[in-house]
Amino acid sequence: MAAPTNFSSRNQVAPGAAGRLSRNPSAPWRHIDLLLLGCVLAVCVLGCLMVFSSTRGSDPTAFDTTLVAKQALFMGIGIVLMAMVALVDYRRYREWAPAAYGVVLLLLVMVVSGLGSESKGSQAWFQLGPFQLQPSEPAKIVVIVMLASLLEQFNQELNVQRLIMVLAVPGLPMALIMLQPDLGTALVFVAITMGMLLIGGVQGRHIAALTLLGIVGVGIVLNSGMLQEYQKCRFTSFLETESRVCIERDASYNQDQAKVAIGSGGWLGAGLGQGTQTRLGIVPEQHTDFIFTAVGEELGFVGSGTLLTLLGLMAWRIWRAAQLARDPLGTLICVGVLSLFVFQVFENVGMTMGIMPVTGIPLPFMSYGGSSTLTAFVAMGLVMNVHMRRFT
Amino acid sequence: MKPVRSAATRRRPHLRIGIILVGLLLGFGGISVRLVLIQGLGGDEYTSFGTSQRMQTIVLPGARGSIFDRNGNDLAVSLPQRTIWANPTLIDRPVEVAAALAGPLGFDPAATAVLAGRLDGRSSGTQFAYVARRVDESVADAVAELKLPGIGFLEESKRFTPAGVLAHSVLGSVDVDNLGQSGLEMQYDKALSGTEGELVIETDIRRRALPGGEYELKAAQRGNDLVLTIDRSMQYETERALRAQIEAKGAQGGMVVVSRPATGEILALANFQRDAESGELVATGNNMAVTTVYEPGSVNKVITVAAALEEGLLTPETLIKVPDSLQVSDHRFSDHDNHPTEDYSVDRILTESSNVGTIKIAQMLGPDRVDSYLRRFGFGKATDLGFPHEAAGILLDRADYSGTSIGAIPIGQGIAVTAMQMLEAYNVLANGGLYVPPRLILATVDSAGQRHSTPSGKPRRVVSATTASQMRAMLVNVVAEGTGKRGGITGYDVAGKTGTARKPLPQGGYQDGAGNYHYVANFVGFLPAEDPELSIIVVIDEPVGDIFGGTVAAPVFADLAQYGMRLLRIPPPRVTTGGTLAGAADGSAREIVAVVEQERVRATAATSTAIAVGG
Repeated sequence: MAAPTNFSSRNQVAPGAAGRLSRNPSAPWRHIDLLLLGCVLAVCVLGCLMVFSSTRGSDPTAFDTTLVAKQALFMGIGIVLMAMVALVDYRRYREWAPAAYGVVLLLLVMVVSGLGSESKGSQAWFQLGPFQLQPSEPAKIVVIVMLASLLEQFNQELNVQRLIMVLAVPGLPMALIMLQPDLGTALVFVAITMGMLLIGGVQGRHIAALTLLGIVGVGIVLNSGMLQEYQKCRFTSFLETESRVCIERDASYNQDQAKVAIGSGGWLGAGLGQGTQTRLGIVPEQHTDFIFTAVGEELGFVGSGTLLTLLGLMAWRIWRAAQLARDPLGTLICVGVLSLFVFQVFENVGMTMGIMPVTGIPLPFMSYGGSSTLTAFVAMGLVMNVHMRRFT
Repeated sequence: MKPVRSAATRRRPHLRIGIILVGLLLGFGGISVRLVLIQGLGGDEYTSFGTSQRMQTIVLPGARGSIFDRNGNDLAVSLPQRTIWANPTLIDRPVEVAAALAGPLGFDPAATAVLAGRLDGRSSGTQFAYVARRVDESVADAVAELKLPGIGFLEESKRFTPAGVLAHSVLGSVDVDNLGQSGLEMQYDKALSGTEGELVIETDIRRRALPGGEYELKAAQRGNDLVLTIDRSMQYETERALRAQIEAKGAQGGMVVVSRPATGEILALANFQRDAESGELVATGNNMAVTTVYEPGSVNKVITVAAALEEGLLTPETLIKVPDSLQVSDHRFSDHDNHPTEDYSVDRILTESSNVGTIKIAQMLGPDRVDSYLRRFGFGKATDLGFPHEAAGILLDRADYSGTSIGAIPIGQGIAVTAMQMLEAYNVLANGGLYVPPRLILATVDSAGQRHSTPSGKPRRVVSATTASQMRAMLVNVVAEGTGKRGGITGYDVAGKTGTARKPLPQGGYQDGAGNYHYVANFVGFLPAEDPELSIIVVIDEPVGDIFGGTVAAPVFADLAQYGMRLLRIPPPRVTTGGTLAGAADGSAREIVAVVEQERVRATAATSTAIAVGG
């Protein structure tokens, strides 16, 4: 047929380079998870509001906006960082991971060796001008990528030897973090490792053995001199079987006040900026670890339920990304992020409601804090990355 | 790296990723359930707990009710004054603030330092501290001018007694918090106190007040007013006359009660006592006439005589052989003047206040009936006044009588009564044999201005009207021609009895180290004898030199009786013999009183006697 060779028709545009690219159905930018992105941004906005509400102070004529401004800045940087992480094909991170792992280990060694700043009994920060860097936060990301690449190589075949190799990856940073000491963050690594091992092909009996080991390990930590007395009390206060020492120290204070704040919100809440427990600074650490209490009091069940729904949607999208991933590496990365994210949500929200031990774990995209916020964005960037490249 | 095992042994990642989804659902489900439990179902409980730890409540006392006399004159009133308080948690520099306050408040450096300590909120954590309570308006204004942060003002009432110490022992006093500490202020504290109000302050967790926090004010409610039976004029005159006589006789103290026999209303009640240190005579806060007891002496004889009349053992004219002295068990009782053994009429026994005669009558009655009548006249138990710390008196149980009791008790020894009890016993005779409980409260006025009359107590019969009437006639003779002559006043028949008792000393016995006795002189009576309107008891403690009830206590009685007749506008009774007053009796009471006072001084004494003997 001759007709097709006629290029004069406007309907028969030649498939030029630009046209091909723009119409490539598998192009990564066409497969950005908009629902996940939307949820992240919505939670961020809510987070900023609640940070403002819990840090503005009690003087209505001169609200303190320092912290909320900083948090907004962190979120801006976080969004840029998330985009950058998503842009580079995640497969290339495999090559960079060992170097990053080394840097993170070095930072962790430095922070516990005396270069770090001490705050509230644990040595976990570098003070950099007005900002603080908490090396344990990026360590979470690096460990996820390292574990994913290692488990991918082992290709579902994990004997004891390989298992020990795998466990060493989170083991080293965990040990350094326990020296700070920061039990909560160390537990995050446990969650990441367990989740990834499950998908990475660990044998059932190994999982059982590790669980047993973990329980014994926590027991040893609690009974050793590693933790301060108050940390132990806080950790066990939710069990409501407090020792006399803990009662004297009013160890359940945080949790009691957190429950009061959430409970006073009722179904509809006191209204944004109207929560008296929040406004009066009754709940300690409310803009960081206990931010959920501000949501609970001021926005009520409607607000906290909405937040939980958003977080749940995010968890589902991450899980979905893990399932749809093109390769085991993508699946493993997503499961790692999922474990990280879900553990932090459950632990953080659970402790404010008295069903989880009190540990210093932030609520992703909600709690005030630079390192944790940036880490959360980077983690989401990884998931976006895997999701958008599922057809390439 | 090559797989170390065959594909057959591979785990199944898709099953495991499904397990993770189940875990997610369980986790989010569990948290949601917990959220519903706390927020949806436990909301109220948590809210109220939250509120309770945030709100601090400061109690504001209600304004105290006033106390008026029977005519509505102020006796004790509460006036609002400003109290300066501070919220120390709002004060950053307590020392500077204290120094600034010291000026207008007139504090010395020591007081300023104490104030600075109280204003230091960081150490105490309290949100409320008094700076100065109930200051003058000018001081409060000066402090307000300073516009200091954390300094506030409250209205607090302060108790004033416009008439000074008038009726002090009856009214009692209040403390700095307006709580009644003695007297009626204490007895009726609940009624007088208002309902407390509240000032609620919202605080943060460190108990600091919030600059814009809620301040909720629930205003306090005023208490009830009391209207007393006291008459301010009578009270004033009573205190004046009593004080003058105590000073004149160099006595240690004294008490007077003035009442209306028919209603039991107390018109005046005065107590004076010499201050132990300064020797100064002061209007004591102790209402001794109700709270302390004394041995009454001869005034007690009327109980025995009345009992014998009531029991029909004798009449006023019955003659009894009265020797100079009488041995009762191991004690010899004697009359105050030597006299030969004679036949005395009952009337003469009372008129001359014969101890021996009275004891012989008592012996006719026997101890059972003596004891029974003492109790029926109201001795041995507190009156219905319910006054704080009221005394019951000391009255031996019948079982505890010794051999001499039947001699001592009828003549007022070995028995102790309050002045109030003794006056009530005479009121029985004045009231035709009825005991009418005494009362100090005429009415209360509630915060809405509604007046509620206080019902008078239920009267009870003690002796017959005939006995009371016979007793009145004999008591008129006591004043007309017996030991009580100085208690008489012109124009009226006065019924009364004197008593002079040795005073038991605190260390026991009656004689002090120097071998001297101390005496209590007293006089009880009422008038006009035919239809008594006023009864008065006068007790003078330890007069020096002149010690007799008839010469020390009776003149005070006469003074007050005269004043009382004028005050109550009671005309002298129509005179049936003697004639001179008959014309005047048709005129107004005022004229009659004037006539009596100015012209008829001598004539009436004879007239009264005639009436009394006839009655």
